[in-house]
Amino acid sequence: MVKKRIIPCLLLKDGRCVKGVNFMNHRDVGHPVTNAKIYDAQGADELIFLDITASRDKRSILFDIVSQTADECFMPLTVGGGIAALEDIQELLRAGADKISINTIAAEQPKFITDAAKRYGKQCIVVAIDYKQNDNGKLEVFTHSGSKATGLDPVEWAKEAERLGAGEILLTNIDQEGTRGGYDIATIRQVADALSIPVIASGGVGSLEDLAKGINEGHASAVSLGSILHFTNQSVIKARDYLHTLNVPVRINA
Amino acid sequence: MSNGLPNLKRCTRCIMPETWESINFDSEGVCNICRNHEVKQTIDWDKKRQEFVDLANQYKGKGSYDCIVPFSGGKDSTFTLYSLMKDFGLKPLVVSFDHGFYRPKTLENRIRAMKKLGVDFLSFRSDWQIVKRLMLESLKRKGDFHWHAHTATFAYPMQIAVKFGIPLVVWGEPSAEYTAYYGYDEPEEVDERRFNRFINLGINAEDMVGMVDKVTMRDLEPYRYPSRQELAGIKCRSICLGSYVPWDVKKHVEIIKRELEWETDEVEGYPPEYGYEKIEDMFQGTDDYLKFIKRGLARTCHLTSIDVRNGRMTRDKALELAGQYDGKRPASLDVFLEYVGITEDEFMKIAMSHQVAPYKHDPSKTERGKELWDQKLWDRTKC
Amino acid sequence: MLVIIDYDMGNVRSVSKAFELLNAEVVISHRPTDILQASRIVLPGVGAFADGMKHLKERNLIEPLEQAVIKDQKPFLGICLGMQLLAQGSEEFGKHQGLGWIDAQVKPLKIADNDLKVPHVGWNEIKYNESCSLFNGLKTRSEFYFVHSYHMICQSPKDIVATTDYGIQITAAILQDNIFATQFHPEKSQTSGLRLLTNFVNWNGHG
Repeated sequence: MVKKRIIPCLLLKDGRCVKGVNFMNHRDVGHPVTNAKIYDAQGADELIFLDITASRDKRSILFDIVSQTADECFMPLTVGGGIAALEDIQELLRAGADKISINTIAAEQPKFITDAAKRYGKQCIVVAIDYKQNDNGKLEVFTHSGSKATGLDPVEWAKEAERLGAGEILLTNIDQEGTRGGYDIATIRQVADALSIPVIASGGVGSLEDLAKGINEGHASAVSLGSILHFTNQSVIKARDYLHTLNVPVRINA
Repeated sequence: MSNGLPNLKRCTRCIMPETWESINFDSEGVCNICRNHEVKQTIDWDKKRQEFVDLANQYKGKGSYDCIVPFSGGKDSTFTLYSLMKDFGLKPLVVSFDHGFYRPKTLENRIRAMKKLGVDFLSFRSDWQIVKRLMLESLKRKGDFHWHAHTATFAYPMQIAVKFGIPLVVWGEPSAEYTAYYGYDEPEEVDERRFNRFINLGINAEDMVGMVDKVTMRDLEPYRYPSRQELAGIKCRSICLGSYVPWDVKKHVEIIKRELEWETDEVEGYPPEYGYEKIEDMFQGTDDYLKFIKRGLARTCHLTSIDVRNGRMTRDKALELAGQYDGKRPASLDVFLEYVGITEDEFMKIAMSHQVAPYKHDPSKTERGKELWDQKLWDRTKC
Repeated sequence: MLVIIDYDMGNVRSVSKAFELLNAEVVISHRPTDILQASRIVLPGVGAFADGMKHLKERNLIEPLEQAVIKDQKPFLGICLGMQLLAQGSEEFGKHQGLGWIDAQVKPLKIADNDLKVPHVGWNEIKYNESCSLFNGLKTRSEFYFVHSYHMICQSPKDIVATTDYGIQITAAILQDNIFATQFHPEKSQTSGLRLLTNFVNWNGHG
């Protein structure tokens, strides 16, 4: 049976990995390639790079990082951040990415999902959905690194993204992100149960228990981790061992 | 329940608790480290020894040195050096990374060993001002202040191998002795994969350079693991002697005491009969205290479990000793706090933030430990 | 010289780097002359079946491939789409003809169990034929990375040398003479994948 996946997620800014809380106050957490090599050695199931560099001029730094990582790590690599056209996807795939994550452009031009899936295959297209509670207390999808409201409900948008051709959903709760306060299990479960494509849970992992909850209660196919790997002594190996002791189906020989 | 023995789920055979790294328990409640140990009994050690002899012969007599032996002066590296020279007839270059924590007795043990064995010895001590900052940063991020020691201990000898063109590097104790990360059935290559899997706390030199203010890669060079290309260039082979000969700590200590006048030392926080264990590090007690705050176990639990596994102690005796010795607040912490420039409250706050569920540390129950005889001799230069 | 076919269908770089790590002499090419002179051939591929066949045709690769693989019997490794294209045909986005080297059809992955998502994405254990030398050195329970929405159904069970369980038994690897192919991605499967690729580099094209 297919295993549940443990996926470190690295935010890239100007060629370094950074991590913040609620998408703000980013601190340096290392070099993307050496971080990737650590995760690869520890048997991470996949790796996600999300580029949050503001300036498009520095795009070549991202391509170098993707290439170096792909050259040294033999595990699937998903890259996202700043995709604005099909050519951007092409360039990243050529640089060494296996899957591409699209966020803002998907919400603003939903047809882009369909075009990208048709051209590159839907298994290559991950639609990233960032959401948080708005001023009315309702959950709403935000784009542009969490700054722009879309009026979309995360569950409905996830269903629509699947219908349009997304291969996977990367679901991130902005309110939980970086807090190490746990996943938003309720929403993850709603989305995972409504979709027939895999959902990667993201945002808020503070303990290994959270990972188990994300899978067992949230019904996520994969769990993404960030802060816990940088600011605690947890690691991919420890995460996998822990899930294994709870009989969560994770890789045995990794 | 006594102070040093928190109420945690433990192996039904040894006494290691659920909070230990890589541990899990099978249907009989026996931990995977004990199960791994069962495999050790089934290995054909004669065959393994011959494998080592054949391997060593590929390197003997070629170049100025047959191999590099990474060395600290502790029991394992001292025995490894002794055995490679006396049992296997190799001419090593001894390479030691000096982390700045060596105690006086260990420095004497090192010199005695070098003199009695007759061997070339290279010791490297990295910039202490940088070290202090690395200690604090890794304590904060990972609850472990030994990052510089963990990394350079493994990276520096590999750099020397590349620089001097010595392809064979021989380490000592296989990690299967105390964790389940590697089994005895797979030969352990001490390589970058192992470095990344569990030596470097998930931080490479290239990562640390962005995390500490005003350091560059030049400052962090001793902690950088050589690249695949550099190591492939010398056809490097980095192995554990313990993969080829059965590791018997007590026997090894007897040998080095007798042959090299190696001496045991007083230690913080565990029974004197273990005075051969981790005696080289002035902050072993502080490190153990951190471990206790995080996981509810310290070195006594760990050492008695090894003895139980080897049939040298009953489980009840192990529980008694762990309860008696683990968990004290060490005197060495005073020196540690001075070195990194934080208060004890700040230290406790950082340590408590790294607790491993389900252990919950209660600082109010902590007793103070006795000061080591040499603590007053440790260098306190202000810099 | 190991030739990796570049027909603009997905990531060839990772495949190439994996073989380079294993010290194989590798070239990425779409030139018929390189294919004809290759000592072994790898056809990777991610994307739609119809696009794959179209790209092979447009680059005039089908004839040299048939010469090198079918006639000259060079050791061949197909990966993911590179395995599916070997079939007679596929039902992906309509009915399309494949290379027809393996008596098989490619059909959509239809799983009854709602908990099993499509595409089949992630690491899964394979059950493999231990006498096949391409699996030498693998642990009994080895996991590889899969990512696909279609799967190959072989007419002849003897062509199947590995399967994986995803609600149904999916063809994970096939072997016919010198033609070996995997649904999973060995170049994305860390240690197990590198082991399998090492075996391919050393494979003489039989068994």
